[in-house]
Formats: sequence, structure tokens, C-alpha cells
Amino acid sequence: MSLEVDYNKTYDAIVVGSGAAGGMAAHVLTSHGAEVLLLEAGKRLDINRELRSMEWPYDHPRRGDMPPDSHALSGREYTIRQPPYAKGSKYKHVYSYVEDGNGSDYAKDIVVDEKDHPYTGTQYAWVRARCLGGKTNIWGRLALRLSDYDFKAASRDGYGEDWPISYADIEPYYDKVDRYLGISGHKENLPYLPDGIFQRAVRLNPAEALLRESLQKSGRVLTPYRAGVTTDGLAHNKYRSRCYGRGACDRRVGGCDIHAAFDSPTGLIFPAMETGKLTLRPNATVHEVTVDKATGKASGVSFVDTETGTTYTVKGRSVLLAASTLESARLMLLSKSSQHPNGIGNSSGHVGHNFCEHIMGPGAYGLVKDLVGKPRTLDDGRPGSFYLARFRNLTDRNPNFIRGYGFEGGSGCGMFPDNAYGTPGFGSAYKKTVRDYAGAFIGMGGFGEMLARYENYVDLDPQVKDRWGVPVLRFHIKFGDNERKMAADMAATAGEMLHEAGIQVLSKSSELLTEGYSIHELGTSRMGTDPKKSVVNQFQQAHDVKNLLVVDGSTHVSASCQNPTWTIMALCWRSCDHLAEELKRGNV
Amino acid sequence: MGCEFNRRDLIRIGAGAVLAAPAALAHVNGPKFFTPAEFALLDELTEIIIPTDEHSPGARAAKVAAYIDTRVAEAFEARERDDWRQGLKLVEELSQKMNGRGFLESTPDERVALLQHMARNEMHPKAPEEVFFRTLKHATARAYYTSKIGIHQEMEYKGNVMLQEFVGYEVK
Repeated sequence: MSLEVDYNKTYDAIVVGSGAAGGMAAHVLTSHGAEVLLLEAGKRLDINRELRSMEWPYDHPRRGDMPPDSHALSGREYTIRQPPYAKGSKYKHVYSYVEDGNGSDYAKDIVVDEKDHPYTGTQYAWVRARCLGGKTNIWGRLALRLSDYDFKAASRDGYGEDWPISYADIEPYYDKVDRYLGISGHKENLPYLPDGIFQRAVRLNPAEALLRESLQKSGRVLTPYRAGVTTDGLAHNKYRSRCYGRGACDRRVGGCDIHAAFDSPTGLIFPAMETGKLTLRPNATVHEVTVDKATGKASGVSFVDTETGTTYTVKGRSVLLAASTLESARLMLLSKSSQHPNGIGNSSGHVGHNFCEHIMGPGAYGLVKDLVGKPRTLDDGRPGSFYLARFRNLTDRNPNFIRGYGFEGGSGCGMFPDNAYGTPGFGSAYKKTVRDYAGAFIGMGGFGEMLARYENYVDLDPQVKDRWGVPVLRFHIKFGDNERKMAADMAATAGEMLHEAGIQVLSKSSELLTEGYSIHELGTSRMGTDPKKSVVNQFQQAHDVKNLLVVDGSTHVSASCQNPTWTIMALCWRSCDHLAEELKRGNV
Repeated sequence: MGCEFNRRDLIRIGAGAVLAAPAALAHVNGPKFFTPAEFALLDELTEIIIPTDEHSPGARAAKVAAYIDTRVAEAFEARERDDWRQGLKLVEELSQKMNGRGFLESTPDERVALLQHMARNEMHPKAPEEVFFRTLKHATARAYYTSKIGIHQEMEYKGNVMLQEFVGYEVK
């Protein structure tokens, strides 16, 4: 189905990256009849062979662990060491923390080997998936909308910049994404967390229902996990099944081999290929956006074939960067020319800056005593458990910090009893304690907004290069005072909310995990109206280069506290509708 | 020793279960790393930590020692193998000291008393035998609760089945 790359042709659009943004760009542009070349740096994996979500642990020779010569970085390693984290490692392969525990054999081919992909600078847990579909192959599936509480946050509290769009601009595109890809959820009518066009919601188990009911007294909302998962099926997509509750969704790093959970290949790319307008080229690491010397516009890209090392140049009437927030910034900074001496699209000097993401780590863990010793229930296989919506700085003003946070959490019986390690003793009594308590715990962890600051940025390391000789990113990113104060509040309120519901609080933590942990990196090419303070306009076109678009999370002006994937796709759809019009009019 | 061990287990948990378990098959020719004596000791230690009782079969039936042996044999760090060998030696030495005979020659009560001694600082282990108890228990729990017996018989896990509707409360 995939066409061969034609090196003599000028494609209507070259899309760099095949994750949520790149897949969406391919879908929307081909639906408008554009000829699109989609370049992916990684392999095209046989993803179902990788994920095997229904495989029992005892049917795997290492019960799901990676081979012994591979190593997954631990949370602690990120705090005591400096990047590059694989430097000097004795292991043959080193993977990011997302390969939790002993390292997951099911996702080791999806995330990058840190040995090939080093980075330098401040401590940062950078999780990258270089393969067709990118991180959508293993994403956490929480699919939330932003609201004007986020788009106009600067006007509300005076910090930072407003987005150049409002909710009314993006709402129709959120609707399109919901309909085309499917989303599971329950309507709550919250102005700060707008409802989508929901399919069948996941159900809550007793502990979660107890907490939801208790929170209602204070006007806080615990809602069934809003999952980017089709729970009722999608008649227009033959590559995806409806969810039938059998996944390893929360047991492993993620991944859905029936593709009920959205992933870019089955949700967007394969259907786009059927238009006959899409050419897909994997193993193509783009290292430069080429420039037309006469006009200063983007003329195409150069890429290196990761298998052969050969470099190719392809031509396009437009170039769309969708390589992820940090990789797109790297590519712009790498693309220096006489017309764009600071990197393409970077006359403002803002590329790589105004970085933001989510803080993670603070939360609480409790025990529901009434559930101890109760018969087993089936709580596993749901695409998610619950989301507890933001409540800070909506109507009130917290004296200690601005912006907000939400919680993800869950309860119930999993496949492995997590209390097996922490329950003391041995013998029959130990077995019984593990068994009786295993389904009685409830936990939740916060995701909070990290403020965008110019001083938090990435640039190119002057010395270090990756396996293909491309200069790597150097991080200058640190959480600040607002993040730390928010974290303290997150831990305190998490504990209070459990306690208020009659749940015994066993532990709570305000400790921030290393920068990067949320895998929600955003904001290195922010959108705006002022070309001096922003990189792209509201249609994600570079102010300097009208036929260069940045369509991934790079363009987000602020992080909000909601998970970004659905917003990335809605924005990208809107921008590609606009680009398709501009291409037809000959304006780019 | 290996053949004898497998025959005993064939009787205990049924031939089908053993043939279905890859870790068990791998032990047809005996342990990969531990000596027969070490393996017998390890097997007994895991069974004391998670014994067969009226609720379900324990670590021995679940072939926990065989799984640990497989993983220790292929461990990337040689230190990991040394730690296990040292740990088992410590148990033997402790048994000689406390009971005047080897661990497997001790009475059931003596064996339990020895493990209680090793487990006395479980949450904050300091002495070498305390540290080894943590290692041993962690590995035993991991192997047992990921085994067929651990998942289905002990924990009565109900998931990984096809559902027409999610289980739980529907939010109204």
C-alpha cells in the first residue's frame, strides 16, 4: 500500500514524525487530496508481536522482564546521575524509566536505546519512542480537553501569555477528534474540563465510588477515566476493535494490541494510506529542513537512513514538524542557513525556550478497611480507573501558587498483588494477609501545571552527537518555586480527600519526580501573535517561514494540568485544514 | 537430583502443569546455577516463605526455586550469583550455630525459628542474613505471584478475560 519515495517529486507536504501529531497531519492533509510524504525516524514494528497484552506472565520465560543484558533506568538513577545516562554503562542496551521494574520485554523495542540517543545537561527523564506511531503505541490514554481557564490563564492570573486561540476556536476540532478516534468518558458539565462526545464509560469499583461520593460534598469531581479508547467501536475504522476489557493497560507500560486504545498507525496512518495519497518512509531520521535560497522558505528535508547511513533529500511545498516537542526544536535549531542563522523559524530566539510540562510524583495511598478479606473482584483490564479534576485556582486564589493540578488514580484487584513485597513475615499468615488486603488499596498521583519560563530551555550540545552523527540536545530545565509549592499542596489535599472519605491514609508524598517524568513535554515553539515573543501563529505556521508548520506539543503556550495528546491532535487538525486551503490558494 | 525433583513434582501438581511451564521444562537436566544441595535448600526456603496450605499450593508446587535458578544463572552481574551462593551458605552456617545441624536436617520448628531470626529486621535489614532474607523473599514473592498457581489458585485472579461490559458501578 505504501508508495515508494519519489526523490524527483515535490510533495504537497512532508510530515516529520508519525505519532499523534504526524499521524493526524497525514490523515487531514490526505483527506483534502494533498500528496503527503510521512517520514518516521524509527522502524515499522510488528506492534502486536511486541505488545502481546494477553500473554500470562508464566508463559513468558522471564515473566515479562527484558533480557539480562538490558537495563531500564530507575527513578533513583535520574536523581543521582547526570545525562547522558547510558554513558559508561556495562549493559548492552539501556532504556528509559518507563520500562519499569526489571524492564519490560513488551516495550523494549518501542522506546529508544539510550546508548544510541544520548543527551546532556540538567537531569531529565526523556522518554522517546522511535517507531511508527511513536509514543502513541504505549501512551497512558487519558484524553482531556483544555478550556479557556487554560487558554486564557495569563489574563486570569497575570502570569505568562494567553494562547492566540480560545476554546470556541478548537471545540469543533475536539469534536472531530472524538468522533474519528473514539473516546470513553462520562459527562460532568464542568466549564474547566469540557465534556467530549463520549462512548461507553469505564466503571468505578467500590473504593473509587466511595471516593467519588465523598468528594461531591466539597464540589470536587472524580470521573471515570476519560480514555482515548473506543469502547463502542468505530464503524469507519477496520483496524480497531472496541475495548473488551482484557488489556494489560495498567499492568504494563501500556499498549493495546486490539487497538481499542488510540494509536497513530491504526487510528490515522493506515486509513490515510488507503487514500493512495500517502507515502510512508520509516528509518528516516530527518536532520535538516532545507531552505530555498531565493525565497527563504522551506524546500524540503534531508534525512539519514538509520539502517544504511545514506543521506537523502526530498522536496515539499510545505514541511510539518511533528517529531515531538523536544525533537522538533532540535531539528529547527539544526536547520541553520544564511537566511536563518539561528535555526529555521527562530528569528525570535524563542525556539527551544518557554518549555513546560507536568509535575508528577505527589499523591497519596490508602486502605479501605471494609474491603479487607472481601472476595476477588475484576478490576483489571479497564483502559483506566479515574480522573479527579482540577479544583485549585478556579474561583479561589491559592496564596501559595498559581494554576492547578488533577489526579489520576485507581483501586482494586490487579494481576500481581503489589502488597506482596511490603507485607512483612512469611508462611500461611503472610499468604493470607497478602490475599486479604490486595484489593483494598486506593492510590492517586497528581499531574500539575509547570509554568512556562523562558529560562527553561534546550539547545544543541556543541560536542556530543548521536549514533548518526547528529548533534544532541542539551537540557537547561529545572522545576521552580511554584511547582514545589504546588507539590506540597497536592500531597496534602490527596491525603485529606482520602481521609475525608473514611479511607486510612497509609502514605503520602510531596516529592517531585525528576523533570521529564510525566512524558508531557511542551512549549519549545510556542504560538502567539507577536513574532518577537513566539515562534508560530495560531495555525502553527512559523512566523518567519509560512510553509513550515510545527504541529506537535511544541506550540502549546502553557501546559495546563490536562494531558496534552487530545489537544495536540485537535490543534493539528485545525492547522492542517488551514494549510490545505492555503495550498489550494497558492499562499504558501 | 534434578530428575528426582521433577518426578516428585509431576506427582504433586500433575504432569500437565509441569509440561506447560517453560521454567519447569528448563529444569529437566537439573539446576542451571545452584548445586543440587543448594537447590534443595533454596526449594525448602521458598516453601517455608510461601507454603502449601488449605487455600492453595505453595512455592514448591509453583516451581519458584527453578525460576529463581534460571534467572540467577543468566544474571548480568556476577555479584548477583555470588550473593545468592553466599546467602545460602549463611543459612547453613546459621543453622549449624543455632541447631547444631544443617538446615534440611533440622526439625520444621527449627527451620521456622531460623527464618524468623533472619526476618527480624525485614523492613530495615542490616546483618548479612537479614539482607539475604529480603532478597530471598522478594524473589520468592515475585516468582510465586506470577506463576500459574499464584495467579489463579492463590489470588483467584479474574481478569484477562473478554468482557462485554466493564465490571463495577456505572456512574449516573
